[in-house]
Amino acid sequence: MRIGQSMGLMEKLEILSDAAKYDVACTSSGVDRNGDGKGIGNCVAAGICHSFSADGRCISLLKILFTNECIYDCKYCMNRASNDIPRASFSPDEICELTMGFYRRNYIEGLFLSSGVLYSPDYTMELLYQTLYKLRTVWHFQGYIHVKAIPGASQRLIDQTGFLADRMSINLELPTADSLRMLAPNKHRKTILKPMRQIQTRMAENKNELMVYRHAPKFVPAGQSTQMIIGATPETDYQIVSVAQSLYDQFSLKRVFYSAFVQVTEDSSLPALPGGPPLLREHRLYQADWLLRFYGFRAEELLSEDKPNFNVLLDPKCDWALRHLDQFPVEINRADFYTLLRVPGIGNKSARRIVKARKLGVLDFADIKKMGVVLKRALYFITCKGKMMYPTKLEEDYITRNLLNLDEKLPVHKEEIRYQQLSLFDDMRLSREPTREERLQAVGGQI
Amino acid sequence: MEKIIFVCEDSLDGIFTGIYDAWDSRYGHENVKLIIDSEETMELFSRYVEVGADGEKAEKVARTLKRRFGDEVFEMICQAAASFAPEKADALYRVVVKGLSMPDGRKVMDALADPNVCRVFELSRQAGYEAHHLTGFVRFQELKGGILFSRIRPKNNALTLIGPHFADRLPQENWVIYDEGRKLFLMHQAGGCWGLMRGRTLNESFLSQISQEEEQFRQLWKLFTKSISIQARENRQLQRQNLPLRFRTYMPEFTQEA
Repeated sequence: MRIGQSMGLMEKLEILSDAAKYDVACTSSGVDRNGDGKGIGNCVAAGICHSFSADGRCISLLKILFTNECIYDCKYCMNRASNDIPRASFSPDEICELTMGFYRRNYIEGLFLSSGVLYSPDYTMELLYQTLYKLRTVWHFQGYIHVKAIPGASQRLIDQTGFLADRMSINLELPTADSLRMLAPNKHRKTILKPMRQIQTRMAENKNELMVYRHAPKFVPAGQSTQMIIGATPETDYQIVSVAQSLYDQFSLKRVFYSAFVQVTEDSSLPALPGGPPLLREHRLYQADWLLRFYGFRAEELLSEDKPNFNVLLDPKCDWALRHLDQFPVEINRADFYTLLRVPGIGNKSARRIVKARKLGVLDFADIKKMGVVLKRALYFITCKGKMMYPTKLEEDYITRNLLNLDEKLPVHKEEIRYQQLSLFDDMRLSREPTREERLQAVGGQI
Repeated sequence: MEKIIFVCEDSLDGIFTGIYDAWDSRYGHENVKLIIDSEETMELFSRYVEVGADGEKAEKVARTLKRRFGDEVFEMICQAAASFAPEKADALYRVVVKGLSMPDGRKVMDALADPNVCRVFELSRQAGYEAHHLTGFVRFQELKGGILFSRIRPKNNALTLIGPHFADRLPQENWVIYDEGRKLFLMHQAGGCWGLMRGRTLNESFLSQISQEEEQFRQLWKLFTKSISIQARENRQLQRQNLPLRFRTYMPEFTQEA
């Protein structure tokens, strides 16, 4: 269905924001930029959340597609060419108007502009570039802009756009080349990785330019990110985390986002997910992602070929600590920063506070609790002044049992993870149905 | 020995003046106490001294703190002074005393094992977090003549903390942020600087004159916040955790049209 040009801004916004919502990245972080006093807008490195939608995710940027008229037919995507949905396109001016109107009222932190592929990658990328150019030069907008690079677009266009945007991203879509071939027949691993590499090299070059000319224009100052869909294809957590790690190592990405697969179209090659999107798995992957980026863990430490998936009941750090009890307990007043980081219940900030505070006095459990250490998790793994908080067994089963009793904040309700007391009289239906022969044998008295 | 209790005005200048006077009284740090001007139960065996805000004394304290403690700690102290907690004045005084007795005052906020330092640290963090929240949750509405107006009711006295942010963000706009609870205005003139104003009353009839486009943008925004949410992931509890209800009174996407 194609609706003509007469469509109002209201309808377009409804269609094109609805179509953009499965892109998870909505961060406005990574760049600190003061306004020049003449235009409008600035950026804050920490990022600012302006609202939260009913699914609890932050709304920081005006997240829209330029168009949902797409020539590709990716099976997981709502905007696939073969889907019968209302289609619409913005014009660059409409996007500028919306962005400025929202930004002035402090509704948003900036613009997140993605797009379906209209006619060809180059044609689409050109439109995105025009929009950004207008916003930056005509409207003097200095807020945050996150733009998608369209795979297959020419190098020149991506380069030009990168000088106007704060962050660029190209979605990896699926963790392995095989699944990409299966679900996104028009996209190829190569066309995704090529622009990713190109942006990386351009950013490195830009660093050198900035060293010589302080006021040289900045290329993608907030770095690039990507996104993978989780649960649409049979990859293990180990594969996913390894892919993320190599993206961080080799493509110097700022963030990898994981998006639990939400069923929006019907296709025989997609899994049926009766329990809803795999939110808990997504949550564990994000936890592991943080361990990779801020806690000095490697993918090989967290998982292995023999144990390819995370324990859904325990967070990855607790899980790791339980398998390495020989390294615990550690002494709070002596252990170095990186050892402290590996203790469950001690985060980046509290570890830093501990290291500073212990220079000025000996710390006890009450002190580190006030600094933000989660003692109910940490107490099995630490000592203060050589003593544990109270006598505990340093034993895997015992600690696991206690950690499982803690109430962890999870994205899904606890009822979905079921366990119950076994009773003698419950029929758990563990035995299989008797076959026809067995029934006959029973009648004949053979069993 | 009789105790002296200094009753300070609830402002940065007021607290700094209190710190100056308490120190200057030479009565011994353990024999003085600072409280914020409020109707608390009075203590026996103590003398109450009212301290007004004195710009000169406050300036002296601020200068000393900046020199001895450095900008980072000074900013934390200012944030803690904006807190709503009444015990902030005394905790701040103790931290200043401790910091000035240390060889390197810059490290005073690292000594988190000290209960007063810890308290100031907490208060400063709370006020700072709320100010950060407000930089996102403040909503302007455009009045006739292009003035942007916003209404908030924060726990802490956060207006001065968010002033620089909005002045940098919207330099070419005339805007006003009004703290309903404290009856304070944060005003900014296009191309100029920002300032705090107290003691004026709000002219409600002026506010009802919104600009032409205002209603349209409000509707667009409401629509956007609704359509951006993924139904299969709905989680109201997480939403409430991230965006507490007390902020929502002033946000168009959560208010029902009358």
